[in-house]
Amino acid sequence: MKKYILGLLVLGLPFSYFTQDGVMNAGDYFGDLKARHIGPALMSGRISDIELHPSNSNVVLIGAAGGGVWKSQDGGVQFNSIFDNYCQSIGAVAMDPSNPDNTYWVGTGETWTRNSVSAGDGIYKTTDGGKNWTKMGLEKTDRIASIQIDPTNSNVIYVAALGALWGDSEDRGVYKTEDGGKTWNKMLYVNATTGCSELVLDPTNPKIIYAAFWEFRRTAFSFSSGGLNSALYKSIDGGITWQKLQNGFPKGKLGRIAVTVAPSNPAIVYAVLEAEKKEEKGLYRSDDGGNSWKFLNGDFGLTVRPFYFSKITVDPNNPEIIAKAGLSGSLSIDGGKTFRNLGYVHSDIHDIVFDVSNSNKLFVATDGGLYKSYDRGSSFEMVEDLPLSQFYHVSVDNKEPYNVYGGLQDNNSWFGPSASPGGIEARDWELVGQGDGFRVYPHPTEPNIVYSEMQGADAIWRFDVDKQQIKVIKPYPVEGDPKLRFNWNAPITTSIHQPDRLYVGSQFVHISDDKGDTWRKISPDLTTNDPLKQNQEASGGLSADNSGAENHCTIFTIAESPLSDQVIWAGTDDGNVQLTQDGGKTWTNVAKNFPGLPANTWCYHIEASVHGKGTAYAVFDGHTKNDYSPYVYKTVDFGKTWVSITSADLSTFVRNIQEDYENPDLLFLGTENGLFVTINGGKNWAAFTNNFPKVAVHYLELHPEKNALIAATHGRGIIIIDDITPLRKIDASLLTPNLTFFETKPFVISEKSNFGGTALSNQFVGDNPSSNAMISYFLPKRHTFGKMTAEIIDTEGNLVSKLEAGKLKGINTISWSFNGLAPKVAKGKGLSFAGAPTVKAGKYVVRVNKGSEVFEKEIEVQYDPNSTFILAERAEQQRVTKELFDMIQDLAFFVYQVDQWDATVDAYQLKNSAPNKTVTKLGQELDALRNKLVVTTGDNYVGTADPQLKEKLNDIYGTIASYYGAPSSTQMENIATLIKAMTDAKAEFEKIKSGSIKSFEKQLAKNKTVEAPVIVTFEEFLKLD
Amino acid sequence: MKLRDTLSIFSLILIGAIGSLKAQTVDEVIKAYYDVTGGSNWEKVTGMRMTANVEQQGMSIPFEITSLKDGRMSMKMTFMGNTMTLAAFDGKTSWTTNWMTMEPEENPAEDSENARRAINEFPNPLFNYQKLGYSATLLEDETVEGTACYKIKLDKKTELVEGQEVPNVEYYYIDKENNVVIMMESEINSGEMKGNMSQTKMSDYQEVNGVYVPFSNSEGLKDGESQTIQFETVEINPVVDENIFVFPKK
Repeated sequence: MKKYILGLLVLGLPFSYFTQDGVMNAGDYFGDLKARHIGPALMSGRISDIELHPSNSNVVLIGAAGGGVWKSQDGGVQFNSIFDNYCQSIGAVAMDPSNPDNTYWVGTGETWTRNSVSAGDGIYKTTDGGKNWTKMGLEKTDRIASIQIDPTNSNVIYVAALGALWGDSEDRGVYKTEDGGKTWNKMLYVNATTGCSELVLDPTNPKIIYAAFWEFRRTAFSFSSGGLNSALYKSIDGGITWQKLQNGFPKGKLGRIAVTVAPSNPAIVYAVLEAEKKEEKGLYRSDDGGNSWKFLNGDFGLTVRPFYFSKITVDPNNPEIIAKAGLSGSLSIDGGKTFRNLGYVHSDIHDIVFDVSNSNKLFVATDGGLYKSYDRGSSFEMVEDLPLSQFYHVSVDNKEPYNVYGGLQDNNSWFGPSASPGGIEARDWELVGQGDGFRVYPHPTEPNIVYSEMQGADAIWRFDVDKQQIKVIKPYPVEGDPKLRFNWNAPITTSIHQPDRLYVGSQFVHISDDKGDTWRKISPDLTTNDPLKQNQEASGGLSADNSGAENHCTIFTIAESPLSDQVIWAGTDDGNVQLTQDGGKTWTNVAKNFPGLPANTWCYHIEASVHGKGTAYAVFDGHTKNDYSPYVYKTVDFGKTWVSITSADLSTFVRNIQEDYENPDLLFLGTENGLFVTINGGKNWAAFTNNFPKVAVHYLELHPEKNALIAATHGRGIIIIDDITPLRKIDASLLTPNLTFFETKPFVISEKSNFGGTALSNQFVGDNPSSNAMISYFLPKRHTFGKMTAEIIDTEGNLVSKLEAGKLKGINTISWSFNGLAPKVAKGKGLSFAGAPTVKAGKYVVRVNKGSEVFEKEIEVQYDPNSTFILAERAEQQRVTKELFDMIQDLAFFVYQVDQWDATVDAYQLKNSAPNKTVTKLGQELDALRNKLVVTTGDNYVGTADPQLKEKLNDIYGTIASYYGAPSSTQMENIATLIKAMTDAKAEFEKIKSGSIKSFEKQLAKNKTVEAPVIVTFEEFLKLD
Repeated sequence: MKLRDTLSIFSLILIGAIGSLKAQTVDEVIKAYYDVTGGSNWEKVTGMRMTANVEQQGMSIPFEITSLKDGRMSMKMTFMGNTMTLAAFDGKTSWTTNWMTMEPEENPAEDSENARRAINEFPNPLFNYQKLGYSATLLEDETVEGTACYKIKLDKKTELVEGQEVPNVEYYYIDKENNVVIMMESEINSGEMKGNMSQTKMSDYQEVNGVYVPFSNSEGLKDGESQTIQFETVEINPVVDENIFVFPKK
């Protein structure tokens, strides 16, 4: 029979283990290799849309710009991510008014169309409150601005599809479904450059629809808002026919339009218009359902940056109270005549919603997270549980624990630890730059020095963290220089060859060898220097928007070879890849050597390889030309030839690549929709989804010492895979054995201890890495049938610890906290316990029992090399710990004997009602003795009894066993008193044994109602439960 | 391994292989799971007692879990020589032990009510979901840590949370190759963890009296830490002391 089973399993191999082309795919074998999230959430990140439950104010949904969908069920104290497996760029979230507990819709693709905005991939629906989602089409709409569900019919839904930002598209306009999303009809379409930017229904008559259309376009070097095709439309027949609303609106071109209907009086409609003339921009009000409009207000707060702030909201209970999203947010209580700013919240507000049941309660979505107000927007508290931080970049240092450094969209530059007592909290992060933050680097050898920058290199700082000194060190143009063009996200990098060296890219490569104090150019203009792409002053369309975000013809990535500081690569946002092999004296443009790469595609990242001076990877991002293809290339000959290493597994564009330092075939890719891994040099790629959401990954770093992969995500903060070493070893040779251990470095026992953190339950806390020995192995197949256990054995074959075995297909990890077995403790009242001692350094064997098979692997455990304890101190600690361990077990056996005799006394007395002095006396003597040995009364809180020998022993044992140095003299004196107490108690028991117990034994022999107790040996006792 | 066990594994692999050739209905998937794990032998099961030692910091903590067909259950733990009931339900009352006083205390009335609603689920709510008035739906297949699975949504009777009736839904992931449940998820509906998904992973299926039982259960939060209970013994239809279920009178 076994033969048949074997045959079947072997037959199954080609199907389950290999892809069609016979190449293993890493995605089948990630097993329990899992990412952890460290946030942070103290600055949170951009939120694009808020939706409140219509009748249960505890339920709040938010859609984040790059961080997915989150749900609160407690009024906004805590949030859970409910959309991890799908596109994290969110345009709109909506609850079905007929079933708001269960049915939500999510429109992907943010519509606040800044330069760094991500794209969407359609519309999704859940019917179980967010636990399961189904894609419901509209995949090519790119970004969805509004979803409105007919309150009288859940199957009727209207969608405002803004559509492609970076190119022409016909997949935009007003879409409607009448069958719950199975099919969609385009109800209103203007042209390929104009999308629907807002859509609202009349709450009392859902056939009345207002739809704002916006003509817009972004390129890598310009933005245009407005045109003759922008307009506000109204339908009164569910979208069949539309009327352009313009009575009272300005003539000529319009830009982005915000529109809303007053829920308590739907005849009142507010619209905020971007128009040609300054005096015509602003708030318009209609009191007749949009037939005619009156200009009310052109305040800055209403007209500022319409592409970024075009949301207007009316108090559901009062048509005269309106709130407008904006730089600071504006609120009017007189129907729009005058406005005041909202109280302090993070700037750049994208949505404001009123709680229906209490319109003094507001939620506000900002570039820096979600805020709540209970006094109609005068004062706010921030939601501290939303780790939506949008990193552009990440770097690491070599401290213990290492720190991560990075800059965020509109949220400064920071560094924070990869581990912290109790978890990584908001308080652990340190501010090291202002404005929008981008690339942040620690000085390679002086850990107190941090380099950071703000947008467009308006400032590049050298910050001495210890002295808290800031110096601006950016390169300035000098005599003969043209204007320096810095990208919004300008490249800075340090050198591993020259610690004080710093590179910065404008259109030139600038180099400093004194930490940024003096600079020299080591290149000519490396870009195309195309003048047509350098007219940023004209950018913005109807509203000028020359923020620096569209700066172009700039260097975007600089990579110095880890093998030679003479080999430097520079990639530009206009498609050049330049190489010098002589430290900048001469440069070669290799841009034409990339097969299949459209000209002028943005070179987003170059990774100079550790595996060869001429080896490098280049990643190109064409999305700003409306090209979402992945472009990833490798060269081994200094860029003369490049090979594409993408596969059909990659469905969208890529921003970053990270090579492994040991296995050249192991590569990591940061894509617009998550992290991808290849174990075969790019023959195929697998999405890494073990606690890694489908979020845009802007940058990857591999820690050279820790082998940790650190991902800078643009919406979910920093995400870390702590140890990628098992991935280095995955190949077909692992598929035949039933279990294969991976090689490991010696494990170091952490001697750190702490009192934990201080975060409250409403605050995000990042996960810590494990400080345990993580022993990894590979299973070609998930273990499902039969027992599978793991244990640690010492070199003499003694059991040291019992552990949990991993049973997943692929990589599994056994986690061992270096503990041995705990002593057996005496029975008594209360929970005083004695834990397991930490093992000594040395060799151990991990044994995995899988069914009848046994797999073993020797591992080594080491003491912390940075420890201050010497071996003699450790030996003393171990000796005393062992002595106390034995005493605890000795006492347990002692108490067991007392209990056995006492139980016999009780049994005798139960069967013999006549009082017997001998028995009574024995009972009293045993009780009195036990009361000295263990606590027998009280509770485990303040009603606790005074500790007795057991509790005192457990206490001093725990104190000494959990420390790594020798016990103090005070502790030893304390132990001496316990030894004496034990000796005295044993003597007392011997006295009882030779006295009352002896008499009792005679009585038992005579009476024969009860047997004398059977006292097992000490060894047998240890095996009892 | 007995011949019967081998046959069962063979048949379940075969069922898996055939099953993958055509689309399955939810009832076919559940039937295959039922058949593979014992089939009609399940009808003879009226109770189950499982013992385990949970390893914590080198301490081996004995657990005993007893559940009966009439819904009664008891979970006891022995810690430092003290045996305490962590959770029990006697058919009417759900109760626990206070760690401070080591005294029994009743759980909130809603817990008892919710336990009463689940009274007939033994041995497995999937097996008789229709009789229980539940509904089961086959969702899109999912891959659980590299293993292709059927995903079943089991919509149970609502449960009471803070006076409100809320959905009570469980998701079962059935290994397509072996036709056994390898993971179960449900949303936590109350308390500070409300909104998180709890996750139980099952493995180490072994045969006991003609039925296959997972001897290893890892419980935790989705994407979070978990604790494994590795059962050492599983008794079918054990003789039980009925007092273990009853809320002790004070």
